Amino acid sequence: MSNLAELSITEAAKKLQAGEITSVDLIRACREAIVARDASIHAYLEVFADAEEQAKAADEKRKNGESHPLLGIPLAIKDNILIEGRTASAASKILENYVASYDATVIKKLKEAGAVFIGRTNMDEFAHGSSTENSAYGPTKNPHDESRVPGGSSGGSAAAVAAGFALGALGTDTGGSIREPASFCGLVGFKPTYGTVSRAGLVAMGSSLDQAGPLTHTVADAEIIFNTIRGKDALDSTSHEAGFYPKREIKKKIGVPRGLLANGVDADALEHFEESLEKLKAQGYEIVDIELPSAGLALAIYYVIMPAEVSTNLARFDGVRYGLSLRGDNLWEDYAKTRGEGFGPEARRRIMLGTYVLSSGYYDAYYGKATAARAQLTAEVARALDAVDFIATPSAPSPAPKLGENASDPLKMYLLDIFTVTANLTGNPAISLPMGVVPREGKNLPVGIQFTAAHGDEAGLFTVGKQLLGEVQ
Amino acid sequence: MISKEEIQNLAELARLKLTEEETASLQKDISNILDYVGQLSASKGVSADKEASTDHPLMTYREGDASLSAPLVHNVMREDLPRLASGKAGTPHASDDTLAGKEESLKAAFPKRESGYNVVRKIIQKDE
Repeated sequence: MSNLAELSITEAAKKLQAGEITSVDLIRACREAIVARDASIHAYLEVFADAEEQAKAADEKRKNGESHPLLGIPLAIKDNILIEGRTASAASKILENYVASYDATVIKKLKEAGAVFIGRTNMDEFAHGSSTENSAYGPTKNPHDESRVPGGSSGGSAAAVAAGFALGALGTDTGGSIREPASFCGLVGFKPTYGTVSRAGLVAMGSSLDQAGPLTHTVADAEIIFNTIRGKDALDSTSHEAGFYPKREIKKKIGVPRGLLANGVDADALEHFEESLEKLKAQGYEIVDIELPSAGLALAIYYVIMPAEVSTNLARFDGVRYGLSLRGDNLWEDYAKTRGEGFGPEARRRIMLGTYVLSSGYYDAYYGKATAARAQLTAEVARALDAVDFIATPSAPSPAPKLGENASDPLKMYLLDIFTVTANLTGNPAISLPMGVVPREGKNLPVGIQFTAAHGDEAGLFTVGKQLLGEVQ
Repeated sequence: MISKEEIQNLAELARLKLTEEETASLQKDISNILDYVGQLSASKGVSADKEASTDHPLMTYREGDASLSAPLVHNVMREDLPRLASGKAGTPHASDDTLAGKEESLKAAFPKRESGYNVVRKIIQKDE
């Protein structure tokens, strides 16, 4: 029955509705795959013991006439999203024993839809990373080649879906943490417009950048999850209703910032990128070159803004109210020991960097400059999207790196996010879609193409995505 | 390269206890990252004038061009009246509040608990 675990959400929902299968069947198929392979993949930090009970309850609801495309669908949830009564550790030692006392808004909405939570997935600690190697609980491996990383920080969620351990997953994306692992694992990964999905109940990383979103096999699946979790929420004042942005007229035009692709993208990945554009051309799209002069600075802007927000958000972990709490000789020592031992090396690095760029004397040179450059980049992207519907780039410069390949050089790891950070800085929605595989050392590794749309134009991204992947509309 | 003393000072500000070894590796890592982000200061295109840098960047990107698109970030105001965490009108801690009934689970997370209170260290201590 393990092939049931490889169904798309859309297919599974049809079979559930037709009474051909039950949610319990789906959970068992996922569990079978987990038992067979998760000891080596390590996608999950915890598989929930009551998953089958949740599935039974979903089947019961269906018998009583309830229906929703996610009713009874097993989903994997990233470990930085709170589910009441369950551990949410953000893959950190400092939250190892933290049990959530409330549901994140996205979880509340998924529960209302009747989705089944199969487990919480591994991630880079506090979502700091692009490979899931920064987890305090050991790395996750890429199901396509276990000597390679799944990407990150939502690497556990991506690996879980790719390996058939869940039909879909929730991740969070601060600089590409949904889209880059989707690219490395051959999935669809979607980051909504900033403010479209409530951030309440997510472990905050960069509050002006964070959004939760789906990792799925198909665009239609991503759309189902997105439509379920979106909406204004009183607990997140940056959230807004659907329809907040004016509807756009479709021009069937795609802009490619060629200047950004000239260096550093693997040649065979670039070939797939061009092929994908050709496919869309054949469907009536016009492909034009565009310029985004500040986009080359995006990663530099990101590595000022993000650590500044990280150091601020992680200041709350002080061992006073919850989480790890170590005692020293005095109050300062209590804090410093708890934080020094509770946070892993990358979290400490980002806290230090953020503290530096926010220090008086350096603020104008770094944070002030980055904020101004961010405004400029946002204006450039908005102007570009007046002329075209979408901006297309590869999702990442290469397929998944080997485990440990970038361990000694944080900067090299950061460069994996070079194409994804822009959408977080500018708040635009962006999607990563599989665009083929490239051979590396006898294995075929997935690579992804990214489309960015104007604020609020999620529908446009789903349309172009379905057209590219040949999904029936 | 950033000095050892600077790293130690930052660690003090950030409330982090670092080992000698990590202090040395952070000197190197943070210097490399600062070199990389230094291209922001070097780039001519970016104007860091006060006006552009004090507002939220997502708020001002279409100044004078408001008809084109709603700003991504805008002020959110509400009446200064008691309301539930769920956003509904009412007194906080009413039975249908998002956090109603959560008191026990919040307290259960306290690292050290005594008669329902969170035990914390004395902040003002006698000089010894």
